[in-house]
Amino acid sequence: MLKMKNTVLFGLLAMLLLSSCLPRKDSGLISLFDGSDLNEWSLGPEGGFEIIKGELYTRGEEGNDLFTKKWYCNYVLSLEFMLSEVGNSGVLIRCDPESAWETGVEVQLLAPWTPWRDDLHCTGSLYGHVAVANRPDESTGIWHKMEIRCDRNAIRVSVDDSMTTLANIDTVITMEDKLICGAIGLQVNHAEKEGQYAKFRNIYIRDLDVVPEYVCEGFYETDSVFRSQAYTAALNLGAEMVELLALTMSGEDPLAISGAKQVLFDIVARATDPQGDQKYEKDVAFALHNSTDGASSEIVKTYLVWLSGMIKNDTDE
Amino acid sequence: MKSGTNMKRRSFLKNTAIGLVGLPLLSSTYPYIAPSDKIRVAHIGMGNMGRAHLNWFSDFADVETVALCDVDEVRLGEKLKLLQEKHPSTKTDTYTDFRHVLDRKDIDVITCATPDHWHALVAIMAFQSGKDVYGEKPLSYSVHEGQVMKRIWEENEAVFQLGTQIHATDNYHRVAEIIQSGILGKIHTVRLWKTGGSPGLGYPPVEVPPDTLDWDMWTGPAPYQDYTPVRCHGSFRHFFDYSGGVFGDFWCHIADIVSMSISPKGLYSIDTRGERPWDGIADTPRWIEADFKFKDLDLYWTTIPPPVPGAEKMNIGAHFEGTDGTLTCDYNTKIIRIGNETMDDIAEIPKTISRSPGHQRNFLDSVKSRQQPESNLGYAREMALPMYLALISFRLKRKLKWNSDTEQFEGDPAANYLLSRAYRAPWSLPG
Repeated sequence: MLKMKNTVLFGLLAMLLLSSCLPRKDSGLISLFDGSDLNEWSLGPEGGFEIIKGELYTRGEEGNDLFTKKWYCNYVLSLEFMLSEVGNSGVLIRCDPESAWETGVEVQLLAPWTPWRDDLHCTGSLYGHVAVANRPDESTGIWHKMEIRCDRNAIRVSVDDSMTTLANIDTVITMEDKLICGAIGLQVNHAEKEGQYAKFRNIYIRDLDVVPEYVCEGFYETDSVFRSQAYTAALNLGAEMVELLALTMSGEDPLAISGAKQVLFDIVARATDPQGDQKYEKDVAFALHNSTDGASSEIVKTYLVWLSGMIKNDTDE
Repeated sequence: MKSGTNMKRRSFLKNTAIGLVGLPLLSSTYPYIAPSDKIRVAHIGMGNMGRAHLNWFSDFADVETVALCDVDEVRLGEKLKLLQEKHPSTKTDTYTDFRHVLDRKDIDVITCATPDHWHALVAIMAFQSGKDVYGEKPLSYSVHEGQVMKRIWEENEAVFQLGTQIHATDNYHRVAEIIQSGILGKIHTVRLWKTGGSPGLGYPPVEVPPDTLDWDMWTGPAPYQDYTPVRCHGSFRHFFDYSGGVFGDFWCHIADIVSMSISPKGLYSIDTRGERPWDGIADTPRWIEADFKFKDLDLYWTTIPPPVPGAEKMNIGAHFEGTDGTLTCDYNTKIIRIGNETMDDIAEIPKTISRSPGHQRNFLDSVKSRQQPESNLGYAREMALPMYLALISFRLKRKLKWNSDTEQFEGDPAANYLLSRAYRAPWSLPG
């Protein structure tokens, strides 16, 4: 009984310790294409994509790849696709549209017609970089679901709810120089035959870099590149990060503590910019005030009080 | 106000100094100086600079090393041993709390080589106890501390020398003479640089401080943090909790030559670029570039040497641009370049500035004469001020406007907030 109690206690404690980064709410999906318009996308000068009856078509004609206007770093992209018998398209991730193939990678979408569609080049593969571990259903003429999760150094692709590909980009030599943030692109259909197509619908993204809990996890990353990415995301989120960072500072990981301490300062610095956004300032001041009351460690509390002084000074005058 | 006892002791020292000047040749090689005529010195902070202080001061015939003080008993013991080896007859007491040193009425002078966040309070409390101070750079942790230091220094008519020993060199005096001679015309731009920045220092776990170290006292007025060795001896400077990094450390060594030569006035704008380290808990600049606008001068600081001839070989240097020519000089090699020519000197420029007898000697002479030494508090504070403002701009990541009359930033309350830092109890600055 005692033992069990301890286990429960330990479990509770572990939960408390981890709670600084545990997800508290499900953040919303953002639609990139809901059938009505291409407002989120930059259509190339030669076209190549068109909306027909709420579906986004690319056919075997001349045209440009289609890229999102916005760049994303860490996200879950979900979409549905359908290929004709010789359909050949793909989803470009973390790329610079100026040189999409050099800077990013393509998650392949390929109908089973070419002779060279091996595991490294079939649907679901990171084309030419990482082969599929599980070959997906490649049937043409029906809708398939695809989910691409870019999670710092891990890229995971699922087709029809089964994982096909899991890549740790640190271990893929050919991906060494790839961007870790970029636009998302849809490749214009490369099949040259008349009447061939690839089409898409229900394209959604969940931007993980606006999810405070996800961003907070980045503070524990040993790779400074992803840590620095989390710092930038946290700074952009501002007030929403304050309490989580205060909790992180109360933890035991020196890496996360020092990052949280520095970024809290940066958030307050941005909030106090006389030329800055007043809502950002107001929200940060409020969040700081709330976090100070709940701070469990004297060191953290003192720090938050000091930071509050900096921002209070700003509003009092 | 200073105590009557100290007043008397000072008058006595002053009279003695005059007496010695009157009879200069009585015993020129080893002048006998009666114990009562000696300047009684205590050293606070026994790290590497403390050891330098100890070596420098204990070698003067008119100095009696009375006390050593450090919050680290190991360091204290080591330095006492060094002193005893060098001067076997020394009778020196040791303390771990500097307040006990300041309580002693028989001490005339303290030198301070504590970490930066202690500089101001140690000096201020020393002034209040009637002592003169030879204090290490940087002058203080914050701008506000410097202001209070100056006030208390004036109120107590104390003597203060900042430990920028480079100031005393013939080279710095000569550079100032060349610039003041007008040969370069009117100086409109100065470029200062110091290569290297703060390392990250990794992510060490917290530890229990050693029994021999009073970590709470070491922390003093700074915000309390759990102990880890890199926060303490030798690398504390890379934390904004205690200091301003390599930039804050070296600023006054090379900005000194600018103040000596042209004492720029009317600073009104500060803008910086830079980054923190990415590989550790340290948070002071890994690199920093600062642009300062004075009334008649643009001053630039960079972490890499500016693109001017000769600068690439200098780790810490200054480049003056005038209407009629340029001059490049540095901290280490003592090379002077005029335009593209390297030279030892320009013989036709007369010596107009009297030379220092050495930085520590200059201070000790001042203690006797009651005249302020060359790097006195008024001079040193003005010279150091832009450095603090640049660090605030670095931390806030924005350009700042400065009013040099009111010593306040304009339209930026948060920047003004960072001009001072509340002390951790029980420590406080005089109101």
